[in-house]
Amino acid sequence: MERQKYPTPSLKQIKSLKYSMIGGYILIVVVAVLLVSLLALQTADRMLKSKVSSLASSLNVQMKLNMDSYLARMETIATLAFASEETYTYDATDPDNDEYEAINTEKIISDKLYSLCIMENFVDYGIVYRNNRTVGKISNGTVNLFGDEIYEELASMITNQRTRDGWAAGFQGNFKRIYYVKRIHDNALLVISFYTDELEDVFDNPETMSDMEIRLTNQNYDILYSSVQDEVGQPLPEQIMQRVKDHNATTAMDNAYLVTVTGCGDDWYVICSIPTPIILKEMQTLRVFVCFAAILAALLAALLGVVLSLRMTRPVEAFVASLDTKAHTDQLTGILNKRSFEEYTENRLANALNFEQHALILLDVDNFKGVNDTLGHAYGDQVLAKIGSILRAEFSTVDLLGRIGGDEFCVFMNVSPEDGVDYTEFVKAKCEALCQAFRGNYTGDDGKYKISASIGVAIFRGQGDDFKSMYHIADKALYASKERGKDTYTIGEPEVKE
Amino acid sequence: MMRRGWRAAAVSTAVCLLLTGCAGETVVKKQHEQVEITLSWWGNDARNEYTIAAVEKFEELNPDIRVNVSYSEWSGYEARSRVQMVSDTEADVMQINFGWLAEYSPDGTGYYNIEDVADLVDLSNFSPEMLDYGRRGEALNAIPIAMNTETVYINKTLYDQYGLDVPETWDDLREAAKVMQADGIYPMSGLTKSIWLYSISYAEQVTGKTFLKEDGSLNFTVKELEVMLDFYDRMVAEKVFPQVEYYDRLNIEKGIYAGGVAWVSDAVNYFGSAQEKGYEIVIAPYTAADSKKSGENWYAKPATMYAISKHTEHPEEAAILLDFLLNSPEMAVLQGVEKGIPLSNAAQKTLKENDMLSGLQYEASLCMEGNTELSQMDPFVENEDLIDKFTEACNLVVYDQATLEEAAKTFYDNIKAIASS
Repeated sequence: MERQKYPTPSLKQIKSLKYSMIGGYILIVVVAVLLVSLLALQTADRMLKSKVSSLASSLNVQMKLNMDSYLARMETIATLAFASEETYTYDATDPDNDEYEAINTEKIISDKLYSLCIMENFVDYGIVYRNNRTVGKISNGTVNLFGDEIYEELASMITNQRTRDGWAAGFQGNFKRIYYVKRIHDNALLVISFYTDELEDVFDNPETMSDMEIRLTNQNYDILYSSVQDEVGQPLPEQIMQRVKDHNATTAMDNAYLVTVTGCGDDWYVICSIPTPIILKEMQTLRVFVCFAAILAALLAALLGVVLSLRMTRPVEAFVASLDTKAHTDQLTGILNKRSFEEYTENRLANALNFEQHALILLDVDNFKGVNDTLGHAYGDQVLAKIGSILRAEFSTVDLLGRIGGDEFCVFMNVSPEDGVDYTEFVKAKCEALCQAFRGNYTGDDGKYKISASIGVAIFRGQGDDFKSMYHIADKALYASKERGKDTYTIGEPEVKE
Repeated sequence: MMRRGWRAAAVSTAVCLLLTGCAGETVVKKQHEQVEITLSWWGNDARNEYTIAAVEKFEELNPDIRVNVSYSEWSGYEARSRVQMVSDTEADVMQINFGWLAEYSPDGTGYYNIEDVADLVDLSNFSPEMLDYGRRGEALNAIPIAMNTETVYINKTLYDQYGLDVPETWDDLREAAKVMQADGIYPMSGLTKSIWLYSISYAEQVTGKTFLKEDGSLNFTVKELEVMLDFYDRMVAEKVFPQVEYYDRLNIEKGIYAGGVAWVSDAVNYFGSAQEKGYEIVIAPYTAADSKKSGENWYAKPATMYAISKHTEHPEEAAILLDFLLNSPEMAVLQGVEKGIPLSNAAQKTLKENDMLSGLQYEASLCMEGNTELSQMDPFVENEDLIDKFTEACNLVVYDQATLEEAAKTFYDNIKAIASS
């Protein structure tokens, strides 16, 4: 059993400093890791949003370019109709036309128009005259849609007065076809149309951006094309509308949507949108990963810190503990030196309660001077060291043991006897055992010097007793033991003050 | 001691780097690869819409196949098809006209032999007789979707207004014209091809000769062609039907055309609007010189057929699409009887289960199926150049640019030239 240690304030401070250092280190590491993680997440979040916005914007511009290119191609193919002279010189409304010649001319024009549009998925590619006569490819759907107003309605679709042409869709709520109309002369319009489904290829979206919703709207924000099913002909959804209305070439991102809009063609808009949570869905995974990594990193760093800190403080602590021990203990016997013994005993007595049982045992080695003189100081030191061992063996670890003079030792007993045992008898038994231990060790049979101990005891009588008073009683009792022939003990009695 | 500390620190750092993904790992993301095939067809808005919807459904069911579509209305489709066929750029799966089989695959090598992918196309849904329509030589080049014939549709509401019965003979039509022309109403009407076939039926009934011999060569002489041109001239002059150049389909719903001759597959496309306006449209007997011989010298053919390109790089995927278009319940429900009663047993079963066998188109199909006099149409009579030359010859007569004999002779020479080209 290791004897109880009594750390001094300096050692306590070092331990406290050590724990503060470890705690502080862990705190700093955790806070630092949290801050770095938070910063990393915020930066990643900002960068992701920025990148996606940029990507969406690029996609939107690409879609707009596709659309412009597609419309330009359609216009070019339409303009090819002017390559045939009959197309722009013939007027089906001219009352002077010879009917037979007119039919043949119309056949020529019709054949020409068919040959021009042969490879495109045009629904219409023909000419409508003011008298509603049609030449070329004018579909049943178009005839049905416009009825007798076909010429006037188509003419109203012309918006560009310089090129005398225009694009339109949504006539009478029919958004299945997109029309391009170009005036040929005062009484004739060239009309081409195609199904809005044709725009599937124009707005073909990369697989990686499959969550992106792509729409084409007219100037009134009616949807002409949508990657979302069954939206064609419907007004732009409100949540998108409020983000793009009256904007052009703009990308906006908030917590609900990333929306980007670019104008194209004839006052139309290409609008790409994606719900923000979908974009940040992967960010959530990243967040979990970073948090996990941060916690693990913090734990590892803290663990490493604790290990390093312990490794660093342990030698210091051991050194300080060693110094502390040296300062408080008697080097020869390994028990407390005089100053420490008195200090600890004084502290103990100051905090002792009345019912507590203590005793101060003062021990003086008999004839020790003779040992030194006869056997030398080295042997004398061995004897003293042995006495320390005897004391440690006879008393418990909670008792205070000290060397308070050259051959004078002191024990402050903290141990109480079992119930029913008189404390004085208990102390006497201890003293007897102590004397016996001396006798057992130094009998003189081996030719060495016979050593014994004279003992004086002071019993704690309650609050008011201090080291000085108890020492005084014990010292007197020791003296009495010496007087009685040494190798014995005496229980001291307090002096009665008169 | 110190060395062990550094080792621990190094291990900890490595773990942290690994966990934070700083190890420079190469990220590889596999893109979804699809086999792309093309599908082409012609048709009206309704057909385009349901076919596009069917393609979307097909792609949903077969995510590894992407179908690019090419479609337009009939006008111009044939010319485009010709360009694609001769330039080897035709679609993998294509809707074709019966007549094109003879033109592009006289020996069976112009289209893919579907029997080579018979494990992917359920041919058991079709009777051998129906499959024979798509055979050229030893190869099964195409599969018919439904049968089709020119049919006479009558606006019974208008005929009733004039106290006229539904016309059965050519004379009935001429009599009706006499009554109706005062109000600018035509008892009959038709697009160029319909009037061309109508004229053939008339000439064959009157002359007792068929336009073509059994071997497909021309049987009519200039004399019989004169009868055809004369028929057209008289019908136009007597206001039985309008000149084909002035045919205006809106006149059907306006009540200006009291009747029309059109394909079974065009019933709703042409007469649906008139029905919506409250007119009662009925199927009349096939017009004949003798009402008891209705159907004689009228011809039926597969409405449209599906074929696979002989150049296809993806015959299996094309076959899967073909089977979907012909036999799948999804396509059957979307298509209904738009092309007539489907020939596929599986498609028919679906339509019956969904109670979809009804309407004007279905009635026209029943009329066709119920008439045993109908003959099989020779693809040559659908030749566009032939029809062009017919209208040219007709106009020579109508506008007094040539005598009947001269016009017939010109037409005869043109037919011979087309047949030999």
